[in-house]
Amino acid sequence: MTSLLTLAWVYLRIGLMFVGGGYVLIPLLNHIMVEQHGWLTQRQFLDGLALSQLTPGPLAMLATFTGFRSGGFLGGLVATVCIFLPCVVLMLIIGRNYHRLKNIDLIKSTLDGLLPAVVGLVAAAAWNLGASSLSGLQEFMTLAIGFALFKWTKISPMIVILGAGVVGMLLN
Amino acid sequence: MQTSTQRVGLTEIFLTFAKIGITGFGGGMAIVALVERICVREKQWISPEEFLHGLAFGQILGPFSLNVCTFTGHHLRGIRGGLTAAVGFIAPSFLLVSLLSWLYFTYHKLPQLQAALKGTNPVVICLIMVVAIDMGRKQIKGANSILLALLAFAATVIYKLNAAWVLLGAAAWSLAVAIYRRRHCR
Repeated sequence: MTSLLTLAWVYLRIGLMFVGGGYVLIPLLNHIMVEQHGWLTQRQFLDGLALSQLTPGPLAMLATFTGFRSGGFLGGLVATVCIFLPCVVLMLIIGRNYHRLKNIDLIKSTLDGLLPAVVGLVAAAAWNLGASSLSGLQEFMTLAIGFALFKWTKISPMIVILGAGVVGMLLN
Repeated sequence: MQTSTQRVGLTEIFLTFAKIGITGFGGGMAIVALVERICVREKQWISPEEFLHGLAFGQILGPFSLNVCTFTGHHLRGIRGGLTAAVGFIAPSFLLVSLLSWLYFTYHKLPQLQAALKGTNPVVICLIMVVAIDMGRKQIKGANSILLALLAFAATVIYKLNAAWVLLGAAAWSLAVAIYRRRHCR
């Protein structure tokens, strides 16, 4: 068992480097977990990666898995809190200053000018996901039905997602 | 704070984001789409523009699904609201991963959840598409912004650029435009 303090320190540092982009995390975590500390084997690391992508949380849920491995439930908790702490704190600082910053003309117009790019990124995410995972008639049918439901009804997205999950389990 | 007229309880914030954390399979943009649907459209906790600003900040700062939750929570109830939203969102995933990790290290096998995910995938994609379309209709006006949206899309899809770099580039561009307009409007 690794001491919780070591775990906390390692994950805090990872959390700081995490600021900047999700996928930087994979090689970084691999290096630290597998090569540097030997907390996981390569195989376990890859399984953990697959496992953490089964959940709605960010990719960094991998921290929960690796923390669990080296320190049980408590280890997972410490690792999770520490990896997310830096970005949550940063986001809170931004939130605190957001309304003040927004009242500065130049910043306001910069932010508003940025919005089309954000929309472009959202569209790109849908495109990338679709290109990598859609295949077969059944999935395109689900896509069409889902689109109609979200666009023209007020049905709760939770129900649609969970329903689709159940259907997927039954069909596959 | 603009929404101070209707003070949202911390419990409601927690439950809302926990619900998002339970159902948001697909991660990343799927979460963003869910938060938009629920917090912007249904509950009207935050305006579409403010939400998009938060998304822009969130993408520059790493795990944007979590960041968007933190930002929205903070908008409602300050630091406590932000922490509540972040914890609420992460808690279900944390419990699920802990359970799965325990199963994995005890039985050395991954549970068969992939089939369910295969079913949710197309639906999640629609949710994101609908958000992109609706936001686009509101936010994209004029040649300049159409160009910017297309560039951001192409940079991500074709050139596989990191979203944070795309946004920093777009920010530099729109700052330049803002400064230019300022000088020439006087």
